[in-house]
Amino acid sequence: LRQELLNALRLTSVGAASICTNSQAGCHVITLANLFDRVIQHSAKIQSFTNYLHSEFEQYFLPGKNQIGRVSRNCHTSTILTPNGKENAQSMAREELTEVILKLLLAWRDPLWQFHQSMAHHHDFNNFSSNKALEMSDMVHELRKGVEKVSEKMQKLGIISNSIRRLASPETSVQNDSEQHLMKDYDLLYCFRRDSNKVQNYLMILKCRIVPEYGC
Amino acid sequence: MCVDVPRLQRLERCLQYPSFERAVFLFTTPHEPHFTQCISRDQETFRCWWSPGSFHNLSSPGALRVFYLKKDNCFKLHLECFFDMNHTSVWIPYCMQLRSQDNVTYFNEGDCFTVENIVRPDPPVSLNWTLLNISPSWLSYDIMVNWDPPPSADVGAGWMRVEYEIQYRERNKTNWETLEMQQHTQQTIYGLSVGKEYEVKIRCRMLAFTKFGQFSDSIFVQVPEIPSIESTVQLTLALVFGTVGIFVLVLLIVLSQQHRLMMVLLPPVPAPKIKGIDPELLKKGKLDELNFILSGGGVGGLSTCARDFYQDEPWVEFIEVDPEDADASNKEDNQDSDTQRLLGLLQPTNHHMNVGGSSANSFPNGAWHTSSYNSHLSNQDTLMLMATLLPGQPEDDKACFDVVERDPTKGRDKGPVIQAQSGRPQTWVNTDFYAQVSNVMPSGGVVLSPGQQLKIESAPANEEELQNKAKDPKEGEDAEEKTQSEQQFQLLVVDPEGSGYAAESSGRQINTPPGSPTPGEGYQTIHPQPAEIKPAATAENNQSSYILPDSLQTQVFAPVADYTVVHGLDNQHSVLLDPPPQQSPPPCRPQHPLKALPAMPVGYVTPELLGNFSP
Repeated sequence: LRQELLNALRLTSVGAASICTNSQAGCHVITLANLFDRVIQHSAKIQSFTNYLHSEFEQYFLPGKNQIGRVSRNCHTSTILTPNGKENAQSMAREELTEVILKLLLAWRDPLWQFHQSMAHHHDFNNFSSNKALEMSDMVHELRKGVEKVSEKMQKLGIISNSIRRLASPETSVQNDSEQHLMKDYDLLYCFRRDSNKVQNYLMILKCRIVPEYGC
Repeated sequence: MCVDVPRLQRLERCLQYPSFERAVFLFTTPHEPHFTQCISRDQETFRCWWSPGSFHNLSSPGALRVFYLKKDNCFKLHLECFFDMNHTSVWIPYCMQLRSQDNVTYFNEGDCFTVENIVRPDPPVSLNWTLLNISPSWLSYDIMVNWDPPPSADVGAGWMRVEYEIQYRERNKTNWETLEMQQHTQQTIYGLSVGKEYEVKIRCRMLAFTKFGQFSDSIFVQVPEIPSIESTVQLTLALVFGTVGIFVLVLLIVLSQQHRLMMVLLPPVPAPKIKGIDPELLKKGKLDELNFILSGGGVGGLSTCARDFYQDEPWVEFIEVDPEDADASNKEDNQDSDTQRLLGLLQPTNHHMNVGGSSANSFPNGAWHTSSYNSHLSNQDTLMLMATLLPGQPEDDKACFDVVERDPTKGRDKGPVIQAQSGRPQTWVNTDFYAQVSNVMPSGGVVLSPGQQLKIESAPANEEELQNKAKDPKEGEDAEEKTQSEQQFQLLVVDPEGSGYAAESSGRQINTPPGSPTPGEGYQTIHPQPAEIKPAATAENNQSSYILPDSLQTQVFAPVADYTVVHGLDNQHSVLLDPPPQQSPPPCRPQHPLKALPAMPVGYVTPELLGNFSP
């Protein structure tokens, strides 16, 4: 699975678009719809991994108690304004929506890296889970790159304006709360699970609004 | 959230929830008012159901209010609260509280959720199936199932991504077969059995989530068996193979029994009819008459030699003489023409003997008919009659001999074309059949002109002479007959009755017993029975006084004839008046009798007749 994703993302991230900007013969041009499909597939994979990890974590380490209320206020990405409904998301401009997606993905770059580090040192999960946890950071990184490529393509095609700011560093920072690394991990997983779902929904709305050929 | 113990349905539904919700169930007190279920169908709205628990006094509507974020945000129904789109936010945790009118709050920690986690999509709609293909053995088939996404789920906008799961089972089974989940709105079901009815249903859930929606209504799939095709094919194959087998069998039988079949289908050519004999006689049932005729009819007829001849071979050859030609050409000179005819020299065709019934009708009606025997006796007829006489006479031996000679030369199919000429001249055939009537006796007899002195042979004693005459037949016989013809009235009548011969008309009076030929005085009788002509000196039925005295019987006079009989033609086609020396006569009886038959006019002989011919 990961190899497929990497291959798919390499096509998007290696700058294939720049190579083919000159319309050279034999150059395989990736369409925007194709890019969107690849990105959405990647996002779906991330979300499935996240869901799995979260349920595994919850089952083994925090049974019985509903942590939703407590945890939801502690996500570091809560400060990022995101549309909470379909109408809100559809009424938002494409540039804004794309920007929100990129913000979310960027915000999770560092926490996932830390999570990766903690997973490497703690062999609590089974092999599959630990492997997936280790790959999460890379996958999110690849996804962000892919979305950036999509944004560039859209700007090139004139679908969106060039007002999207390039984000170099995340706006929020993760609290270095080390009360219980398990709780921290759980919160992280919970928060990331929610945000990955947001990203996927936003990408879907964007795709079906811009290139509604397939799967809409 | 699912704490409603008495209601098993909700318990079952509760067990579908993720683990943490199930855990919540264990710790919830069933007595307080509590929420039982909160479900969103489209991720834009949701509704919650609650029960008052054991607090029945709070069951009236409006008794409890649902608070979210300290607000009364939902549309109240009976034990149900509906949150519309304006009050629904995704990715935001909802903690539901039940608050009574007296501000007693019943809150449970486990009642918090986010909307995307409680989404259960509606079942897909428009479920149908189409047949993809059927196996050649008509045992299994594949179908393609199609459906549409639930209308409540906004898949078009991309707000909800759902994946579908199909389950099917045989009609009377209990276990469902589950197919792999996928996001397309069609799926193939492979390996269904013909004749069985299947039930197919579908449900869906949000991608990457765990909560399934309700199942759709089941559709039923069935492909009926068509045994007729198979049985028809089997029947056709069986018929084809059966026909081919029977045909091969028949062919083999035909080939193996070819000869027999040929005998059955194409029997050998039957013996020819006797020309001159009424065909009616030839039909079965009248063999007695035919037998009599063939046996000589009273005029010498068939000799034992002839009978022997008949015994051996089923077919008989006969002489065919054309009376018309005889009449036409020989009216003037009957004698010569007849004689010639008999000799077969001038008109050999007339004397050709035809074997086979094909030419039976070619012979003009004439002497060969039985009626002719009785009705009219022309000289020609007498000639024929005498020709019919079988050898008992030395001529016959000659004839036999000649016939034997000839037979091998000619094909059997044609039959030996035997010219009577060779035998005839030496037989009594050359006897003059014509005689002058010199006088008519008062008694009615006819006196023939004594043109000739015929040899008269005694019955038993002259056998040797007969033999001698057979060897030297022509001269003797002719002489004898000539004398007889000259001196006597020759009246030769073949009596078909076999009792000898009856004289014709006036000749009726002349009756000789079968065994005793009258002397040459008045007539010469030819007996069918005796192998030899017995010119009996005394006729038993001596009605006529024309019987010569015994003295005449042994007398052999030199022929003083008014006419001479031509015996034959030699190589130079000169007329032979004296019969050529005869060679050793062939044994008639013992050998190949039928080959002598051509000399004897033998008619149609049936196998039954053969028996009659036995001596």
